[in-house]
Amino acid sequence: MGFEQDYKGFQDYYEARRLNVRILIIQALFGAVLVVYLLAFWYLQVVKTDHYRRLSDSNRLRRVTIMPLRGVIKDAENRVLANSRIAFNIRLDREKVPDMRAFFPKLAGILGIPEATLHERLAKYRGRPAFEPVILKEDVDLAEAAYIESRRLELPMLSVEVESRRNYLYGPLAAHALGYVGEVSEDQIKTDPSGEYDLGEIVGKAGVEKQYDAGLKGVKGWKQVVVNSLGREIQEIEEGRKSNPGRALRLSIDLDLQRALEDAYADEAGSAVFLDPHSGAVLAMISRPAFDSNVFSRRFSQDTWDGLVRDPRHPLQNRVSLSKFAPGSVFKIVMSIAALEEGVATPARTDHCTGSWRFGDKTYQCWAIRKGGHGYLRMREAIIQSCNVYFYRLGNEMGIERISRWAHRLGFGEPTGIDLPYEESGTVPDPDWKRRAIPRDPVWHPGETISVSIGQGALEVTPIQMAVFAAAIGNGGTLYRPHLVLSREVREGVEEDERQDYVVRRVDLKPKTLEVIKDAMWGVVNDEGTGGRARIAGRDICAKTGTAQVFKASRDVDADKLPKEKRDHAWFVGFAPRDDPKIAWAVFVQNGGHGGTTAAPIARAVLERFFGKQDVRLGVQQLASVAVSQ
Amino acid sequence: MPAWRYLNNFDWILLLAILAACSVGLAVIYSATTGTPSSGAFHRQLIWLGLGLLLMALALLIDYHTLAEFSYVFYGLGLLLLALTLVYGRVVNASKSWLGVGGMQFQPSELAKVATILMLAAYMGRERVRGLGVLHFSAICALVGLPVLLIMKQPDLGTAVTFAPLFAGVVFVGGIRVRTLLILGIIATLALPLAWGHLKPYQKERVKTFLEPTRDPKGSGYQLIQSLIAVGSGGLMGKGFLSGTQGQLQFLPEQHTDFVFAVLAEERGFVGAFLALGLYFAIIYRCLATARAARDRLGVFLAIGVVCVFAGQALLNIGVVVGLLPTTGVPLPLMSYGGSSLASTLLGMGLVLNVWMRRLVN
Repeated sequence: MGFEQDYKGFQDYYEARRLNVRILIIQALFGAVLVVYLLAFWYLQVVKTDHYRRLSDSNRLRRVTIMPLRGVIKDAENRVLANSRIAFNIRLDREKVPDMRAFFPKLAGILGIPEATLHERLAKYRGRPAFEPVILKEDVDLAEAAYIESRRLELPMLSVEVESRRNYLYGPLAAHALGYVGEVSEDQIKTDPSGEYDLGEIVGKAGVEKQYDAGLKGVKGWKQVVVNSLGREIQEIEEGRKSNPGRALRLSIDLDLQRALEDAYADEAGSAVFLDPHSGAVLAMISRPAFDSNVFSRRFSQDTWDGLVRDPRHPLQNRVSLSKFAPGSVFKIVMSIAALEEGVATPARTDHCTGSWRFGDKTYQCWAIRKGGHGYLRMREAIIQSCNVYFYRLGNEMGIERISRWAHRLGFGEPTGIDLPYEESGTVPDPDWKRRAIPRDPVWHPGETISVSIGQGALEVTPIQMAVFAAAIGNGGTLYRPHLVLSREVREGVEEDERQDYVVRRVDLKPKTLEVIKDAMWGVVNDEGTGGRARIAGRDICAKTGTAQVFKASRDVDADKLPKEKRDHAWFVGFAPRDDPKIAWAVFVQNGGHGGTTAAPIARAVLERFFGKQDVRLGVQQLASVAVSQ
Repeated sequence: MPAWRYLNNFDWILLLAILAACSVGLAVIYSATTGTPSSGAFHRQLIWLGLGLLLMALALLIDYHTLAEFSYVFYGLGLLLLALTLVYGRVVNASKSWLGVGGMQFQPSELAKVATILMLAAYMGRERVRGLGVLHFSAICALVGLPVLLIMKQPDLGTAVTFAPLFAGVVFVGGIRVRTLLILGIIATLALPLAWGHLKPYQKERVKTFLEPTRDPKGSGYQLIQSLIAVGSGGLMGKGFLSGTQGQLQFLPEQHTDFVFAVLAEERGFVGAFLALGLYFAIIYRCLATARAARDRLGVFLAIGVVCVFAGQALLNIGVVVGLLPTTGVPLPLMSYGGSSLASTLLGMGLVLNVWMRRLVN
């Protein structure tokens, strides 16, 4: 039965009315809801519009920092040591991969990375927002970057990210002088008063990179951009501020000398520094073991970091300014200067060495004990032969106060002020120091003065202090603040010399004192002394060797047969040429044995290069003057 | 009756309002999808609009009494399609709610909705169904419950929810007894915790988020917050066509489907939102007028069914956009992108126009 037949209209008028009323109720209900909605729109769009406008702006507008290119670091002859280069990273947009597992074999094939490594990389991003890209491969070559870029249609999930990366052209060369860069730490951001650091910003972490970070990093720029919900830049809407590249830095380091030093140092541990004795400018410096600064320019793994930090040889420690050691026999120069200046001894003072000296109830040995001592010697011979007995007696006569005063005056026991982050001041002991430092045994014993007299005991110096000291003797008594920077770029392309007064103080030494000391140091190298291995014909090299005891062996033990870590530290400190020194140095070889054996040849290698270059320069100047006169 | 008389009795206002709403929808979809991965949406919507208007014409031309006679067939077909969807359906956004025919995809739940309206109207149109007793009420429950169960199985909570206003509207207008209403209330109260237990975690999340949108600003609260920012920042006059930043920059998710009204409100401001609400009010008002003017119970319940589904969806959707209701994933009728929804809405509107056109015929 169809509806047409069954249809009789409404049963009655009342039923139609009832339906009508109910429909009207529904109508009223819908109408009321619509009015409520209208009010809601009014509230949101008219009453609260400013609030939501602000939210909308901050939602879509982003201030993007433009990082400036970091300043170039050059050597004294304008050869680039560190610059910035472009690096390509391949990154993955996880949102665009519907099935990661199915995509892995293909991805592994394209990138040449094992699937397991890919799994590892991605595992680290678990729980992070999917729009955050994952860096799959860092620092790929141009060909690989181009391969990925040319397949954007086929592989939309892969893209190439371009970033600037610090580049140390010679790897580990001068690593401790240059230092390295890395991401700013959270602590640095919190404690920086300027509040200018951004998360992830690259800053100097060590060496001149840290010390001169302010100039090197340049001035950050910014721009206002519109971003979409994925954080992608859609449009730039405000010019903002341009970034200013970092200022170039010219170091006093000479790449040629640095290379000669690095080569000569071979596999030894320790440090060396060569200075201009008339300014304190560092010509070359090394601290071994070193590291490749480029390692820090990448996102390196925790393993790499742990490897560097936990290495028992401490490759990150700058042994030039941060490690302190006993100066050994080099201190005999300080003793001699003090004795001569204080009038305790004359150059003609003669003493007799039998190989040992009995003081109180203890016998102090000279290194020449096996051949029965040095016999009679004057101060010059005592320095050349590095006789212990001579200086035991001299020390005893002078007393610790005077020794300590002169050591301080000559630059020990205080930081040199080298322009590198952190510096040790070393230790110059005296009774005051002992009271403070060793409360359980606060009394100064005369035997301790004896030890200090030959550069042992509590006495500790840094290699940079030794170099400054050597330079001061060479230049006639001026202590300079050692420094690595020769000039700084002040405007683009305009360099300005560092016009600082590097003089720390002038120590007035009698000409006679200087003459005796210089002559003795010349003798150390040229007159059958302990530094013969540094001799270069016609170069008048002056130096003093030193051997700092590490392990107290009995006199029958052949020091050269001890295991390496028990061998003494070797020093070789000096300047050249004698009359008008152009270079001063301190070479320190950890567990190197005798200073004359291991440290002297290193200095010699650098000096040969130094004088070789000087000769070429002089030759060119002479040729030029001949040409001018003609 | 001659055709011109039908045309004389035609509800031009309703047709105009429908076409205006569709045009506004197209413009917003165009704006919301230009330059995005969904940029083809405008053209697809245009094709679906053509198809929908064709279906509307079809539903308009055949006497609704004749259509009601075949309501069993349509209803059965709807259920069959829903069952087929569960077996052969395509999974989109974790729901198996699409069927492919040739190159076209459609949601059988949308067709089933219209079939259910027709079926309920046919049932209620019978003279003997006056005042709802427990038996009638149970019958209505079964008629609505069957497709809803199948849709829940997909699971497509959004579409399933749109059956609720249909059910409520028909039951209310049908005249439920106070006693039945009471029993129903008690059952509903008892069933609520049970139903909560059966909700999927993401569905619970949506309800919780509605109650406290800021508790998960990057997750389920994100849509609501972004929607409020879009609407609020539109201000009185709006940011202009193609200039809505929240929508254009894709901060607003589902901007051309569930949140199309937010895009409209952002670009056209309060004035635009007011006019669009006006259009919906006009459509709802005309449908209810049709229900009141219908010459028989079948006509009344057809119009009531259609308007309840239509208004329910519209009010649910807009309520979500302004943060008055939890996110349900219900499309905005006539404006949201989505062919099946557009076509089924136009089909329903065709039925209403049909009832109005034939209101004076004896």
